Amino acid sequence: MSGGTMLYGGDEIGALVFDPGHHSLRVGYAQEDSPKAEIPSVVGIGAAPETNLDPETKTDNNATPNNADQRKFYVDTNYVNVPRSQMEVQTYMKDGMIDNWDLFEKVIDYAYANVIQSEPEYHPVLFSEASWNVRNNREKLTELMFEKYNVPAFFLVKNAVLAAFSSGRATALVVDSGATHTSAVPVHEGYVLSQAVVKSPLGGDFLSRQCRQHLEKHGIDLSPVYKIASKDVVKERDNGRFTLRKLPENLTQSWQNYMLQLMMQDFQMNVLQVLENPFDERVAAQIPTVHYEFPNGYHQDFGSERFKIAESLFDNAMLGAGQLASTSVGMCDADVRLSLFGSVVVTGGNTLLQGFPERLNRDLQLRAPSNTRLKMISANGSVERRFGAWIGGSILASIGTFQQMWISSQEYEEAGKSQVERKCP
Amino acid sequence: MASGIDLSRECRHVFEQIRKLKQHRYAVFVIQDELVVKVERLGVREASYDDFLEDLHRAGANQCRFAVYDYAYQHQCQGASSTCLKEKLFLMLWCPTLAKVKDKMLYSSTFAVLKREFAGVQKCIQATELDEACRNAVEEQLRSLDRE
Repeated sequence: MSGGTMLYGGDEIGALVFDPGHHSLRVGYAQEDSPKAEIPSVVGIGAAPETNLDPETKTDNNATPNNADQRKFYVDTNYVNVPRSQMEVQTYMKDGMIDNWDLFEKVIDYAYANVIQSEPEYHPVLFSEASWNVRNNREKLTELMFEKYNVPAFFLVKNAVLAAFSSGRATALVVDSGATHTSAVPVHEGYVLSQAVVKSPLGGDFLSRQCRQHLEKHGIDLSPVYKIASKDVVKERDNGRFTLRKLPENLTQSWQNYMLQLMMQDFQMNVLQVLENPFDERVAAQIPTVHYEFPNGYHQDFGSERFKIAESLFDNAMLGAGQLASTSVGMCDADVRLSLFGSVVVTGGNTLLQGFPERLNRDLQLRAPSNTRLKMISANGSVERRFGAWIGGSILASIGTFQQMWISSQEYEEAGKSQVERKCP
Repeated sequence: MASGIDLSRECRHVFEQIRKLKQHRYAVFVIQDELVVKVERLGVREASYDDFLEDLHRAGANQCRFAVYDYAYQHQCQGASSTCLKEKLFLMLWCPTLAKVKDKMLYSSTFAVLKREFAGVQKCIQATELDEACRNAVEEQLRSLDRE
């Protein structure tokens, strides 16, 4: 077990790694290959419990009644995805950063109790963060981990740096396309060049909205799986024949939207694809269609529209992924530009869209100075692409010599939360 | 942000031997036990670039390494008909695509330390595939320094 755990304060105890994103929070032990859990970045907020007759809610062990307000909170897929009367769904993330700290704490509490199943004071904690995270937020997180959870040591590291390192690059342009943004972040020798970070709101959620609009326009019934009790096999493009499930009354709009979004995410990952060149109806029409069945049993082939929808990530003159990347490089010093073009790291769940790296390569080549050697690096496995930052953090936190880098609880006691700016640049 | 892994004294010594005394053509470095960077192989002055690549790959196609190489080439000065011999030192981060993520992480997060300690290196080259580490790619990068 010598390599499997890290020495801290004389006890052999594993460090924990948290990687918060808009889609989910990845949690697990350092040194492991993938996170133990991926908890959605939303919390279900129930109405104050007056008469609770629903048997399902009674057995929930994570519905923590809060004394200050009488609301119930539901964390993680198995609890959030259950239809409940008057349960609102809310995210705690905003613009890549933690925004609603009360909700965030609920999720951390849940992670310690149900995923880690251990006391926080035994485990050093490494958090990843967006490259544009602000000082106030960083200090707040440091304070929270030391004051509320009594962690023995803490470290905060930019997710772009982790993505670059885990691709074997100390200097790289990290193009990260996630749920709510696509960003281009230049990393130079392990440090983010923060003045040249560029981001756009065109990410996975944007595509979900496009898919929804497209499908609704074509009159396709989008009943998510929770509404369906049973369905019959129907012929292609025949209306689905299904019976509705009996649902609790007063389902909130926010919860229904959330469930619809999950459904759209499945649709877009299975159906959408990016063309290597700008959208051309004739080219797209020649590519084999993809068959997709909706939860209500309706099914059909999707042809050129699956390329047309995905095209919106690239054809925007200002915010297209290729444009973002070249703008970012252009804002860096001339002497690092070539190294950045020479190592473009592609990461984030949204880049799993078929054809994403190839199209980015093509768009960037057009915008780079002629005879630039462009090199794209993207992990092949979907696990690596989705959890790239987590895996990087997991390895970093388990390196023996890295121990000297942590902010220890003693340092925190002595110098306070401002330590994070000094020790975790 | 760095791993905290440091260089052994031998590394600095060997680097000076190459830079100042021109005793070796190249040196290949390895991270030992996740603790310290050590010298793994040295190339004699007469060694060729292919010898270097062989040494770089000797440990296996999935092994990461650092390297310093004193690269010599003929340079034609502008306006002059004769050529002159130029020697430039480059530092390489070799993280092959096949390497384990753990090794990529270890080496790339330690690279900045070598860069800082090896004063006098003219070019840093990151390579994950052979087309970035081959002679042509390297020479192109080094020659690009001359035009400035």
